[in-house]
Amino acid sequence: MSLNPFFLQGSTNEQYLVQDLINEQLKIFGIEVYYIPRKLITTDDILGEVQSSKFDDSFLIEAYLNNYEGYAPDSDIMTKFGLRLKNEISLTISRERYEEFIAPFLEGISSGIRDNIITGYDFGDLITRPKEGDLIYFPLGERLFEIKKVEHEKPFYQLGKNYVYDLSCELYEYENEQINTFIDEVDNTVEDEGYITTLSLVGLAATATAVAGITTNAISQIFLNNDGSGYTSIPTVTFSEPPSGGIRATAVAITTSIANVQSIKRLEITNGGSGYITPPTITFSGGGGTGAAATCSIGGTEFSVSTLVITNAGLGYPVAPIVTISGPIGSGVTATAVATVDGNKISTLRIINPGLGYTEAPTVTFAGFSTVGVGTFVYNEEVTGQTSGTKAIVKNFKRDTSLDANNPPIILDVAINSGKFSAGEIIVGSTSSAEYVVKSHDLDSKDDTYDQNEEFELEADNILDFTETNPFGEI
Amino acid sequence: MLGTYFYHEILRKTIIGFGTLFNNINIRHLKNDGTVLDETKVGLSYGPMQKFLTKIQEQSDLDKSIALTLPRMSFEMTGMQYDSTRKTGITQTFKAVDGTNMKKVFMPIPYNITFELNIFSKLNDDSLQIIEQILPFFQPSFNLTVDLVSSIGEKRDIPIILDSIDFQDDYEGSFQTRRAIIHTLRFTAKTYLFGPIADTSDGLIRKVQADVYSDTNTKTAKREMRYTVVPDPINAEPDDDFGFTEDWQLLGDSRDYSPTRQNDV
Repeated sequence: MSLNPFFLQGSTNEQYLVQDLINEQLKIFGIEVYYIPRKLITTDDILGEVQSSKFDDSFLIEAYLNNYEGYAPDSDIMTKFGLRLKNEISLTISRERYEEFIAPFLEGISSGIRDNIITGYDFGDLITRPKEGDLIYFPLGERLFEIKKVEHEKPFYQLGKNYVYDLSCELYEYENEQINTFIDEVDNTVEDEGYITTLSLVGLAATATAVAGITTNAISQIFLNNDGSGYTSIPTVTFSEPPSGGIRATAVAITTSIANVQSIKRLEITNGGSGYITPPTITFSGGGGTGAAATCSIGGTEFSVSTLVITNAGLGYPVAPIVTISGPIGSGVTATAVATVDGNKISTLRIINPGLGYTEAPTVTFAGFSTVGVGTFVYNEEVTGQTSGTKAIVKNFKRDTSLDANNPPIILDVAINSGKFSAGEIIVGSTSSAEYVVKSHDLDSKDDTYDQNEEFELEADNILDFTETNPFGEI
Repeated sequence: MLGTYFYHEILRKTIIGFGTLFNNINIRHLKNDGTVLDETKVGLSYGPMQKFLTKIQEQSDLDKSIALTLPRMSFEMTGMQYDSTRKTGITQTFKAVDGTNMKKVFMPIPYNITFELNIFSKLNDDSLQIIEQILPFFQPSFNLTVDLVSSIGEKRDIPIILDSIDFQDDYEGSFQTRRAIIHTLRFTAKTYLFGPIADTSDGLIRKVQADVYSDTNTKTAKREMRYTVVPDPINAEPDDDFGFTEDWQLLGDSRDYSPTRQNDV
């Protein structure tokens, strides 16, 4: 034996003693930090990088702050990419404490095995030590640090063993990773950071109602024989007068533009009239165009829908809902109608086809959103668009009573969105089960102080001459 | 000669025009099943900023919790050179109208403005997504039609030429330093600088009037009639589609029209 056998170079019990002394010192002089392990979602095995991660676990551990004198001077740097903070800290944590109180909970987490996300990177065995890439929440200043390097041999094998890990950390560079540890002070560090977009939601909805009136000797169908051309405004539609005692039918023309030619698309009846013995003539006047011609048939002794009266304009219609009129009992033609929306309410209701053969007034129903517009989205829950399938994570949800106390605009800030939510679709929160209808989704970053994308686009629209639309813009 | 104040904001407009080319670039991250996990619009900013403004805007809360968010793009104007290849005659002028007045404009001076676009990302894949969305537009130039001098409606095609692409990836070295992936694209914008624009003494001709005499000796001959032509409508602009209204007026008197007094004497 080459070493002196009369001296021990570190017995197991001595090593335990040193480890206990270190643990005690750290508990006395250390500070509490959260150790937040990285979970991999996707990796690129060719380019050798982790493309997306999430951080949804945290472990409280005591650590000694080696740079107790503070951050290095001039850690705030002005760069061409704006302000960049390069604050660094060095922490010492107990090896035993990590291995006994954190490592057992991490098995299968880093590799994604526990979440059934198997990646090309097998970190399954790498649970016994702190890892580079994991995060440390540092409570002094409420900062989030990323571990750049783990030093495990300092001090160097005292009594034949190492007792601590030195963690070299630098402020985290954030790229929309989800941080959802359920510890508010940790999660709130990125509440307003990164790419956050804004959804305008429709408030509490109410289903609209309407009643239909039926009449004999009324218009039962309109035939647009010639859609005309050259209309610069909507022409006036006039039905010839019925015999004395009847009611003159009324309708409005809807124009459309096909190949830059403005013509009549269809006639929408506002009143089917009554008392007509023969089909009235229809004339078009004004509008600047020519050629439009239409005829109509009348129902005779059979009842058709002649009027539609909105009894409740409803609330919460971002787009015009589908209107359904019940059909006649037995044989006949079912009436159809169309609604328009203004200010999330039904503004007009017009008859497209008055139907025929009704024996009693039909019911009018609107495809409504009476079950949505309720609930409160919670921070970090996932919302899903029911039509587009788009998903996003909730950042902030508020009713802005400062703008309108009675009918406050409802704003939902989201991040990590997989696409654009469609206007009119319902979004549902995974945790809160809140349901709202989307009015619009603005894809410009909400209040990132760095971004000037929107400013450039708006200014450019005034000075750039694009043949059609700005191919680089979306506003 | 120097000292006449004018400022057409041409350089500022060129900066805006250049910037808007890159204001709607998105990157996507996919899940392992190929569906989209997140889509992010890449933040763009004009790099040079007042330092105090940057500090109070981006670090309004002094305890900023993260270093910065990525990816980001920034651009800046790096130089201006006179482009002799596009030189035109220095005394050549053209006329333009600002709505009411005729303007005399000297031919603009061709200048090449050089720009640098920097792309800073956390992932190599992010950079590649951004670069691939930019490069196909430049072969090697992309034309922007910019309303350089709005007062005269002077729209010019400004070719933006992609000159070079540099790539910096500091992945080597100590683990104490972070990896930084920065692409630098250099562009040249071939713009024009306009000098001061003066009101010309030549007004817009809105009425032509000719008196017709019975003899070439207008001292002795009687004038027979007056022919006047005005545009129809009377307030038509040169670029409008307009006609003319002609008027013949029999006079038969011995008076003459005085251009200075603008009436018959």
